[in-house]
Amino acid sequence: MGWGAAVPAAFLKRDLREALTYKFSFVSSVVGIFLSSATFYFVAKLVPPGAPSLGPFGGDYFSFAVVGVAFAGLLGMFQEGLASVVRGAQLSGTLEALLVTPLPVPAILFGSSLYSLLFQIIRTALHLGVALAFFGLSLGRIDLAGVAAVGLLTVVCFLSVGVLSASFILVYKTGNPFSWVLGTVSGLLGGVVFPIALLPSWIRWVSSLLPITYALDGMRKCLLASAPFHEVLPDVAALAAFDAVLLPLSLVAFRLAVRKAKKDGTLSHY
Amino acid sequence: MNGTPAILVERLVKRYPVVRGFRELVLRPFDRRTVTALDGIDLEVGRGRVFCLLGPNGAGKTTLLKILATLVLPDGGRALVEGHDVARKPGRAKAAVGFAVGDERSFYWRLTGRQNLEFFAALYGLRGGDRDRRVSELLRLAGLDEAADLRFNGYSTGMRQMLSFARALLADAAILLVDEPTRSLDPQAADRVRSFLRDELAGRQGKTVLWATHDLGEAADRADDIAVISRGRIRLSGPAASLAGGGRAALRRAYEQAVGDPVVADKSRGTP
Repeated sequence: MGWGAAVPAAFLKRDLREALTYKFSFVSSVVGIFLSSATFYFVAKLVPPGAPSLGPFGGDYFSFAVVGVAFAGLLGMFQEGLASVVRGAQLSGTLEALLVTPLPVPAILFGSSLYSLLFQIIRTALHLGVALAFFGLSLGRIDLAGVAAVGLLTVVCFLSVGVLSASFILVYKTGNPFSWVLGTVSGLLGGVVFPIALLPSWIRWVSSLLPITYALDGMRKCLLASAPFHEVLPDVAALAAFDAVLLPLSLVAFRLAVRKAKKDGTLSHY
Repeated sequence: MNGTPAILVERLVKRYPVVRGFRELVLRPFDRRTVTALDGIDLEVGRGRVFCLLGPNGAGKTTLLKILATLVLPDGGRALVEGHDVARKPGRAKAAVGFAVGDERSFYWRLTGRQNLEFFAALYGLRGGDRDRRVSELLRLAGLDEAADLRFNGYSTGMRQMLSFARALLADAAILLVDEPTRSLDPQAADRVRSFLRDELAGRQGKTVLWATHDLGEAADRADDIAVISRGRIRLSGPAASLAGGGRAALRRAYEQAVGDPVVADKSRGTP
């Protein structure tokens, strides 16, 4: 049976219809974006322009922080969206009804998370748009090839972590270690709101183990510092290495998780 | 394919791992204990028959249905639906059955009945006009055409149950699996559900219905065939005409003898 675009469209329509029944969620989301940008705008006044640690990223703290926060939110959604979908369907009771349809399990997983992912992409664009329109976000000359390479490899990397998280949730239901370790540690050591160059050297090595470090580094260089493609090659190479390990690992883990949950009879338990 | 039974189950075994506490995990990390849900079940369901799987709570009814719906993997034996092995060809097996998931939480409560069916119809591969026609037809069949555009959270329990049948029928599969469909329904709603399964689906549409229940009267009155299941084993099976030929009292006696427990509720009579 070929499903084509109709299945993703059905998932999007379902989630949009549900979202429209919650009237204030979109409004509060936009207000939140505005407040976040305003906060960093004023915090940035404490940081003198041209601080050495900001040099590789254009030198302006506000732009550095806004790009970090906007993309960290997006990456967090890629990383945790699939697991949230599985957990949500377990809790709401819809997982079993989805699993008895002819749709393959990975298609159910990705279809179910599509709306959240697209919504987060729009939020990220809006975040950058608000910062650009109202708070003077200063973009450089953007190298599209660099943005595309860093962006694509980052998406694959974080979706792979997302599949690993979903696999864990399928079997163990809660206590997702990927979310905890990567989410918490990335916030502190991944260079989201301050450059990792400010970290003491004894802990800076941890940053080099986190994919978000390379994702944000590459994206900031492309968007803020007018870096040509060859300057982001180290980030591209690091992300490609993460992808090469995480993608196959996550696919195998997911297959094993579905099998174990079916074997234990806990596929729809919560 | 017509010579083969709709459902064939042979020596089917399912054991679930016992959930252990931290203390046990530490003291005996490699000690794996299981509880047996199905203990070598054999079953054959003919085409177009209403087959009631009668048994007390925890007998293994739901486990058997979930194995047939490919939601649970068996540990031994085999189960075939329309000739497809549920463990080896889960995709084909899944396409051959409609599973009326009994849990009313399995719908999207803030969407209407129609929107719920439209979504699931897309997952069953229905498109455009075909999808809309099928959804409208099933809403009418389930008696929900007037409530189709009301939110699911405003439906009564009986309406929710009927919508779950409509969803299970979206793909027009020849076999329908239903798990205690009259649980928590009032007597009138329960009778509507029983008539719908017996007269409409099996009678008019010729579908095979495997119907799990602990309601003895329901099985006696509506089934073509009955199998009594208890503690993971089939204790008694045969045509309803022979098992319940002497009425509900005869079936009750046979059931008690087979299960060794005093009894199952006979809800349709209002007596235990």
